[in-house]
Amino acid sequence: MAQVSAPRKLGLGPGFWPVTIAMTVLNLIVTYGIIVFPIDSVLPEAAAPAGDIDALFKFMSVFGNAIFVYVTGYLVYFSIVWRRRSTDPPEAIGIQIHDNNKLEFWWTVVPCILVLMIAIFSVRIWWSLQNQIGDVLTMEAVGHQFKFEFRYPRLKASVYDDMHVPVDTPVTLQVTSSDVIHSFWVPEVRIKADMVPGLVQTLRFTPSKVGTYRIICTEFCGVNHGNMFATLHIDSQQDFGRWLAATSKSQGQSAGAVQLASGQAAAGQQLFGQKCSSCHSIGPFEQKIVGPGLGKLLSDPNHPNLVTGEKPNPVDISHILINGYQGPDNSAGKNAPAIGVMPNRQANALSNQDIANLVAYLTSLSQSK
Amino acid sequence: MAVAASHAGHLEQHDHIHPEPTTFIGKYIFSLDAKVIGIQYMITGLLFFIISGLLAEVVRIQLLRPEGGFVSNDTYNGVYSLHASGMIWMTIIPLMTGGFGNFVMPLMIGARDVAFPWLNLASFWIFPPAGVILFSSFLVGAPDAGWTEYPPVSVQGPPGTSLWCVAIFLIGISSTMTGLNFMVTIIKMRAPGMTFTRMPLFVWAQLATAMLNMVATVALSAALAALFIERTFGVPFYDPGRGGSPVLWQHMFWFYSHPAVYIMILPAFGFISEIFPTFARKPIFGYKMIAFSSIAIALLGFMVWAHHMFTSGMAPWLQLPFMILTMVISVPTGIKIFSWLATLWGGKIEFHAAMLFALGFIVVFTFGGITGIFLSAVPVDLHLHGTYFIPAHIHYVLFGGSIFGLFAAVYYWWPKITGRMMNDTLGAWHFWLTFVSFNATFLPMHWLGIMGMPRRVAQYRPEFQFWNDVCSIASFVLAASTLIFLYNMFTSLTRGKKAPPNPWNARTLEWQISSPPPYYNFKTIPAVLKNPYDFGEPLPYLGLGPSDKEDPHPTKPGGTPPEPAHA
Amino acid sequence: MAVSAINASHEAVHARYEAVDPLYREVRDIRLLGFVLFLVSDVVLFSMFIFAYLYLRNSVPNWPPITKDGMQLPRFDVAFACINSCVLFGSGATMHFAMESWKHLNKAAFNLWMIATIVLGIGFLSGQAYEYQHVPVTWTGSTMGASFFTLTGMHGFHVFVGVIYLITLYVQANRGVYTGSKYFGLTAGTLYWHFVDVIWVALFYLFYLM
Repeated sequence: MAQVSAPRKLGLGPGFWPVTIAMTVLNLIVTYGIIVFPIDSVLPEAAAPAGDIDALFKFMSVFGNAIFVYVTGYLVYFSIVWRRRSTDPPEAIGIQIHDNNKLEFWWTVVPCILVLMIAIFSVRIWWSLQNQIGDVLTMEAVGHQFKFEFRYPRLKASVYDDMHVPVDTPVTLQVTSSDVIHSFWVPEVRIKADMVPGLVQTLRFTPSKVGTYRIICTEFCGVNHGNMFATLHIDSQQDFGRWLAATSKSQGQSAGAVQLASGQAAAGQQLFGQKCSSCHSIGPFEQKIVGPGLGKLLSDPNHPNLVTGEKPNPVDISHILINGYQGPDNSAGKNAPAIGVMPNRQANALSNQDIANLVAYLTSLSQSK
Repeated sequence: MAVAASHAGHLEQHDHIHPEPTTFIGKYIFSLDAKVIGIQYMITGLLFFIISGLLAEVVRIQLLRPEGGFVSNDTYNGVYSLHASGMIWMTIIPLMTGGFGNFVMPLMIGARDVAFPWLNLASFWIFPPAGVILFSSFLVGAPDAGWTEYPPVSVQGPPGTSLWCVAIFLIGISSTMTGLNFMVTIIKMRAPGMTFTRMPLFVWAQLATAMLNMVATVALSAALAALFIERTFGVPFYDPGRGGSPVLWQHMFWFYSHPAVYIMILPAFGFISEIFPTFARKPIFGYKMIAFSSIAIALLGFMVWAHHMFTSGMAPWLQLPFMILTMVISVPTGIKIFSWLATLWGGKIEFHAAMLFALGFIVVFTFGGITGIFLSAVPVDLHLHGTYFIPAHIHYVLFGGSIFGLFAAVYYWWPKITGRMMNDTLGAWHFWLTFVSFNATFLPMHWLGIMGMPRRVAQYRPEFQFWNDVCSIASFVLAASTLIFLYNMFTSLTRGKKAPPNPWNARTLEWQISSPPPYYNFKTIPAVLKNPYDFGEPLPYLGLGPSDKEDPHPTKPGGTPPEPAHA
Repeated sequence: MAVSAINASHEAVHARYEAVDPLYREVRDIRLLGFVLFLVSDVVLFSMFIFAYLYLRNSVPNWPPITKDGMQLPRFDVAFACINSCVLFGSGATMHFAMESWKHLNKAAFNLWMIATIVLGIGFLSGQAYEYQHVPVTWTGSTMGASFFTLTGMHGFHVFVGVIYLITLYVQANRGVYTGSKYFGLTAGTLYWHFVDVIWVALFYLFYLM
């Protein structure tokens, strides 16, 4: 029976130390690269605490890279050096060691220390997140299927789709939802909070870089989750003031009556493409995206009414555009379960002229068939 | 022979052989034999793997274009939800426990079967109907809110969500029963002399997995039942309008689903711990630490669930203990990885297909584990949660971990199960194609997530198209490489070389009998003197002989059972 | 009975228990472990719903909760439930005596105590049916009703299954399936019935006293 007797002093194998040193050098080089890597130029750090979070990310990348390089490196190296050679007899076996208390002690203790270091750094950054200030501007964000609504203390009505904040101003953002769970995330700010119905969560951040950034829903919320976005505008303090004043003024103006006669179908078509086509097609009723197809609104024998149960005429169509709709589908004259949420004019940011144009366009669609 | 004599009285107690079935149905359909049940699990699991994999390809085709358009959004949401649900509940968990656990574990402990064969039969036969119910939900509107089905969206979801609840509830019952069965088998039915510290590490892994299976799955059943009755009868658990809480679902769901990921990976750790010593021709390094770390991971696995909920709205102070405990779990996992590397050191390594996948597992799973540590840090998770970084992490640990492990296990135990050898060259092709295309598919997803692409989306912003296309095309190659594996399996059944009892010269008990084993496994239950990993020494078993290795049924299956030992 | 006589009969019981053949002993051990683990998983099931109840209770400022019409639901009336609980706990005691009678080879006493247990079990279920009519909550109207009916309903289902099980055991015992030394089915039945009692202790406390 072939025996491989372990030599008195166990060498670690040919090239062990050179390989180890090479991996260590590689790790040092990569570590340097990680430390100097300008995250800010790839994904802007547009607010505190993005910088802190990026620092923690880099810290963990250094450790992660080291572990991965050593594990993969030793794996490949051992596979090469300790492979069975074709000259080996068939009964050749490896070195029969079971354990090594000293080695196992160190490879338990060192990871514990590394975990401790990562934990300490993480807890410090976590603690600083808990203590972020946000004491100057407090505002709210409410998630809907599939829009973001923003409420400011000095504005009478909500704003949809565009969130403005002034730079260098600590902001407290309270988020919730009106229907299902959404999530509020700005990659350039790094923090996120789920928008949960029945619950209010608080985010605190201080914008530091003027610009336009993405607000993204990151919790599955229904059929149009992939299209649920808003825009964060970090304005200079003067620009923010101007925006606030202008918005306040336009909200104060009374809407007045919609002048349907002045509606332009061509303008309505363009508006439809911008605001309606993500949920409605211009095919027949059955061609649903989120809501029914609107191509035969006034002329569908299977759906003689609008979903509100009204007869399809321009005035009642405009009512749906003004008020939105989330009741049952009464288009075929029966009472069915609710068909989803159609946002109101405010959510869709429709002026009176917009509404008139859309009504004109929808009417022209039905007549052209 | 004093040892044998002192064991003689003990030997007969294990010899309750149920009589061999004689009908086709008794032998192959409603068999009580754990080996047959194991094969049934493997066939069914393979089928659901293929279905779930095809669903993944639908996802990748849709994501070739930012505006999507391959399927409707509703269909797309159902596709990815069933891809995940099918892979987790109808593929990985059944294959790991019901498949390999049933076939290999009783053989490894020197038992003739599991503790409760009728329970085992029932566990299996719940599985195919549960899978059919799950995938048939496409017919009525597939569940659309992922495999996690958070309310309120899931309460309002399509009718298929209720079918999803029923299907997963059923498979949960199957899993719980299997976990109970395996726990009792491993605790009570080991061969004489096989103390816990002489048990192969695969058995340790199955023991830890069985503990998780038995205790955690019931938690999911509770959550599913509550969701079902809320959807069907309006009972308010999760509806905030009537005092319920959507976050309650998350606690109940993740209390199961985090241990579930350990159910999916611990058996794979067990595979590696058997494959490495065999193909390095030396003992597993650090046996005790690997064994105890499996139990530690199982126990710790119950204490970290809310790291899936850092952004959920739970009390902020809760983030701290869950963050720390999640980081702590990396230590026993790291110990295993270092022990496996040390097993390679000083070996005489042979690169059969099973070994290639085991080596690949280490690389890819380590990477996935590292991204897990990133996610465990709350401040970093606040950026990454809900983005494509999460599917990236998931697939590195579940595909790179569990599926690579399952590939390795198939290549390793195929000769034992079928009596045929698979083609090693095809296996090498399968491995390299898989390894390269796997990394090409899932590595870019980390970047996509960091840069702002959310998950579970049927459309995405145009700036993400390039890397999505890379992922998609690589995934087509990955799917194609699986064809090599399927071809290898099926052709080996008819054209593969006949397998000797011990083609790999391994030392655990299942390799000391014929390939495939007779239905009674061992002519006499062996006595065990040492743990099995000392290559170069005689095998530490008493009571096994050359006749165990003979083909018991050269012309017909079954063979002649031994006479039960008398007092 | 004199103490020494009691001890002697306990010794006899123990001796009969140990004197089984090794094959049966192993089978009994395996079944016992399996049954205990089954009860552990059942405890987890109830624990999850108890957790849900405590979580829901903790997530609103008032308990009993205030419903949509602004009225606070009243607390449950303890008196009847107290009596019904005593019925159930009594059945636990009678089950214990049944088991002891069997171990002491007293079949007649066993039969009487088993019937008493079954009757009390059915009594408890009837009491629950009455209670369901009289509690001030509905299953779907509030989280209080949701938790109450779901948890006590699960428990009642377990009692119902237990009653069927006990009837089966009674019939089997009288057909000679069990002997003075081999009676695993009865052991399992006793464990199950005590488990059902323990769960009720928790539920009674959580819904009526807390």
